[in-house]
Amino acid sequence: MTILTNRRGLLRAAGGIATAGLPLPAFAQGSPPPKPDRIVVNASGGGMATQLRRSYFAEFERLHGIRVVDTSPVDFGKLRAMVTSGNPEWTVTEIGGQDVDRAKELNLLEPIDTSIVDLSRYPAAGRNSHAFIGSAYSTVLGFRSDVFRDGSHPKGWAEFWDVRRFPGARSLRNHPVDNLEFALLADGVPMDQIYPIDMDRAFRKLDEIRPHISVWWSTGAQPAQMLVDREVVLATGWNGRFFELARRNAPVGSEFMQGSLKSSAYGIPRGTRQAYWGQQLFQVMTNPRLQAMYATELSYAGLHPDTASFVAEDIRPLLPTAPVNLERQFWLNVGWWTENGARAQERWNRWMLQRG
Amino acid sequence: MSSPGDSRRTTARRRETALFLLAVPALLLLGIIFAWPVLRLLAMSVEDGTLANFEKATLDELYLYVLFDSVKIAAMVMAICLLVAYPVAFWLSRAGRWGVALGMFALLLPFWTSVLVRTYAWLVLLGRNGVVNRWLRDAGLIDAPLPLLHNTSGVLIGMVHVLLPYMVFPIYASLLRIDPDLSRAAEGLGAPAWRSFLRVTFPLSLPGVSAGCALVFVLSLGFFITPALLGGGRVIMVSMLIEQQVREFLDWPFAAALSTVLLVATLAIYALIGRITRGARHA
Amino acid sequence: MELSVKGIVRRFGPVTALGGVDLDVAEGEFLTILGPSGSGKTTLLKTVAGFEIPDEGRVLLGGEDVTLAPPRRRDVGMVFQNYALFPHMSVAQNVAFPLEMRRRPRDEVKRRVIEALRLVELEGYGDRLPRQLSGGQQQRVALARAVVFGPRLLLLDEPFGALDRKLRESLQLEVRRLQRQLRLTTLFITHDQEEALIMSDRIAVMDKGRIEQVGAPGDLYAHPATRFVADFLGESNLLDGSASAGHAAIPGFGAVPLPAGQPDGGVTLLLRPEALRIAADAAAMPCRGQGKVLETVFLGQSAKLRMALDGGGEVLARLPLRPSDPPPAREGETVAVGFAPEDLHVVPRG
Ligand SMILES: Nc1ncnc2c1ncn2[C@@H]1O[C@H](COP(=O)(O)OP(=O)(O)OP(=O)(O)O)[C@@H](O)[C@H]1O
Ligand SMILES: [Mg+2]
Repeated sequence: MTILTNRRGLLRAAGGIATAGLPLPAFAQGSPPPKPDRIVVNASGGGMATQLRRSYFAEFERLHGIRVVDTSPVDFGKLRAMVTSGNPEWTVTEIGGQDVDRAKELNLLEPIDTSIVDLSRYPAAGRNSHAFIGSAYSTVLGFRSDVFRDGSHPKGWAEFWDVRRFPGARSLRNHPVDNLEFALLADGVPMDQIYPIDMDRAFRKLDEIRPHISVWWSTGAQPAQMLVDREVVLATGWNGRFFELARRNAPVGSEFMQGSLKSSAYGIPRGTRQAYWGQQLFQVMTNPRLQAMYATELSYAGLHPDTASFVAEDIRPLLPTAPVNLERQFWLNVGWWTENGARAQERWNRWMLQRG
Repeated sequence: MSSPGDSRRTTARRRETALFLLAVPALLLLGIIFAWPVLRLLAMSVEDGTLANFEKATLDELYLYVLFDSVKIAAMVMAICLLVAYPVAFWLSRAGRWGVALGMFALLLPFWTSVLVRTYAWLVLLGRNGVVNRWLRDAGLIDAPLPLLHNTSGVLIGMVHVLLPYMVFPIYASLLRIDPDLSRAAEGLGAPAWRSFLRVTFPLSLPGVSAGCALVFVLSLGFFITPALLGGGRVIMVSMLIEQQVREFLDWPFAAALSTVLLVATLAIYALIGRITRGARHA
Repeated sequence: MELSVKGIVRRFGPVTALGGVDLDVAEGEFLTILGPSGSGKTTLLKTVAGFEIPDEGRVLLGGEDVTLAPPRRRDVGMVFQNYALFPHMSVAQNVAFPLEMRRRPRDEVKRRVIEALRLVELEGYGDRLPRQLSGGQQQRVALARAVVFGPRLLLLDEPFGALDRKLRESLQLEVRRLQRQLRLTTLFITHDQEEALIMSDRIAVMDKGRIEQVGAPGDLYAHPATRFVADFLGESNLLDGSASAGHAAIPGFGAVPLPAGQPDGGVTLLLRPEALRIAADAAAMPCRGQGKVLETVFLGQSAKLRMALDGGGEVLARLPLRPSDPPPAREGETVAVGFAPEDLHVVPRG
């Protein structure tokens, strides 16, 4: 890895000397590189793809006259394979929050060109040298609002764990991320002392809830669907999924208390030919009005500080980035997971296999 | 010294060589699309110069258990598919033009939707408050909902549904290839319908059975969406672990070792299926 | 009667495969059904074997009505058009099959399989698979399988259709020998008239789902009851003319005498090619004409001539040849042609 960076550094230095007397590439002189007829954006698909198109892609196509083709799903392994084999097909891809650091470390991403992408008004949490932070989302507690009426639902994970006061089948994600944090919170660990995670303690606490988990979900659509079908009465899930149900007037509510905040990031695979147009797409995506459009539909709010002011008042409290929600949640520690993810996953697999 | 007979044999051999040369492009293609990736896989699994990855994949209780479980589930899916598919294929092979059209349509219908959609459809049908449980409850057959989903039975139902056509078509094809005069001959020679089936039709359809079993078995081992969704987290297939390693942890060497172990197990079972069906044919 | 078929009708949608078939086969008799492709031969055989249920009519075996009985209750041995050997079973297993279905004891099965294979001269082939045998050998296995259990009726559906001429001829004789030896009542199908003439005690000629005529080969040849039979069985000249006062006016030959009792009006006369004589030989014949030779075909023991008659129409003549004989006529030559009136056969119109 270090050899690689060093060599690149050397090459760059050598290139600098060699090109000193030669004309610079066209776009470096101010005129943009030739327009391709399309760029490819890889993201999560589903309703999110529709909304990305309505909010951002449409505007990009209008501005630049370049078609945006979307693909899915997000796949870190594929990103790595593409970059390693050269000539990535994606211009831009969404990257799971935990993977940004790793992608950077493996040198899979082009740096963000701040001369094109204007991040001057973004908060610190929204800036990253190699990733564009598109929006924030949160893993929250979803519940049947006809079972737990008038605010009688569990608030926080200690109550989620309390099967006597809040009876009924539950569902958690079949994955250690979030669940270890939730288990510690349920066990009384304060939000600011979760990390580093004490795995033994977390799994001990998970042992308690296991008999009450009827389904360990694996895709984001599952918890929402199971709440609608009354397969379970409590479930963790991504806030956008519950938001969508609430907007469709399904008897499903969500609770931000002790939710697990993450940012969804986009990057430009290193070596892609349309990198310049990827940067231009990011610039379009910094527009707070477009971010508000996106948030209104999905509740995944962009990080531009003006976004909230363009969102209708009744929707604002449903955004994970609303001030009242921000203070009740914690930011998932991506660094800890990058470091310990594989170990945690293996332990999780073992734990899942202990029948009981 | 060469006699005329020798030169004739040489000519014959040369002709065989020429025929073999015709097959070379196909063999090369196979080599490229099959053997090369497998070699890459092997190479990757020992990238670090040790067999540590294989040790972990074959000795660690977790992976052994999951491998065994996956093979067990794939075998069950195969067996259920066979039990369901054979009568369907048999009926199709005897059905009239409209029957065949209808049967094909019903069988191929699922292919028009994605695996994901089909799997979700099962969630709706088999859930605690799903269609099936509601019917059974309304019919007074059960008091509490049956746990059809989020366990092994859910995984089996979902996988059998997705894989059924892969069993039906090879069997159907092999049944069609059997000369209808053969079962007539058997009956004419004194065999009741069931004995004619057991002694003639069934043994002759075994190549189809064998192909279908191998296909379903191998495909089952590769499934991860359906077992993940319908198993409610309680069913872990090797393919899910491999996918985890590739996608989440980028531990490709270990994923390669797991895949190689899976490949070897698959080939072993594949050989076993072939041997059993060949044995049954001439029994 | 061992087999009686009465008024069998079988329709497949708009196609009438059998349009009222009556047939009796005596015990030990070898009866051949002869007819062109699609005339309903196989359908008739399948009805007798029980693979087809007729729409109308009855099938009696040894006096017992078996119209609705399943094939396995009929004790009929059948050899299929394509043999229908079980490809996954050895020759011995194939031949043993009907015995096993009848639950014969093991040693009896073994003994009878060996006997049957000896009968068709295939001892020592028991362990082979059918695909390891030649067409003729497969045919004989099928035969062995069909007779090994002592059926009361043997059905053969064009058993030699796929074989070359030489093999055909030797198998024809072998089947006939076997049939006589076992005194098997046999129903044999062919569309080859020569084969029918060689093998049969009696022949039933079929056309369009009906039996046109049943009779001994010589009888059918000499006295065909219909124009179809006359045409189908052997080579023939069919001459159309008009009869009046015991004579018929035939283009090219003038008036020829007819057998007594022939009414006046249109008449069709059959004249076999071997009844014709030409050139000098024709001079002795009571009925004469002349014509131009269009074509001569040398056939070894005979020569075949196609001639255009001066009065219009064509005839075919077959002239016996001895090895030293010169060619009877050259193409293009005009020669006399004649025959004796007693060789004429009046074909009933119907
Ligand atoms: N199962 C069937 N369905 C429809 N039509 C049939 C069926 N079997 C026979 N036929 C028709 O009945 C007629 C007689 O058929 P059959 O097979 O008896 O003829 P065949 O005399 O055996 O002819 P070949 O010498 O070609 O074997 C044909 O017109 C055939 O198309
Ligand atoms: Mg036929």
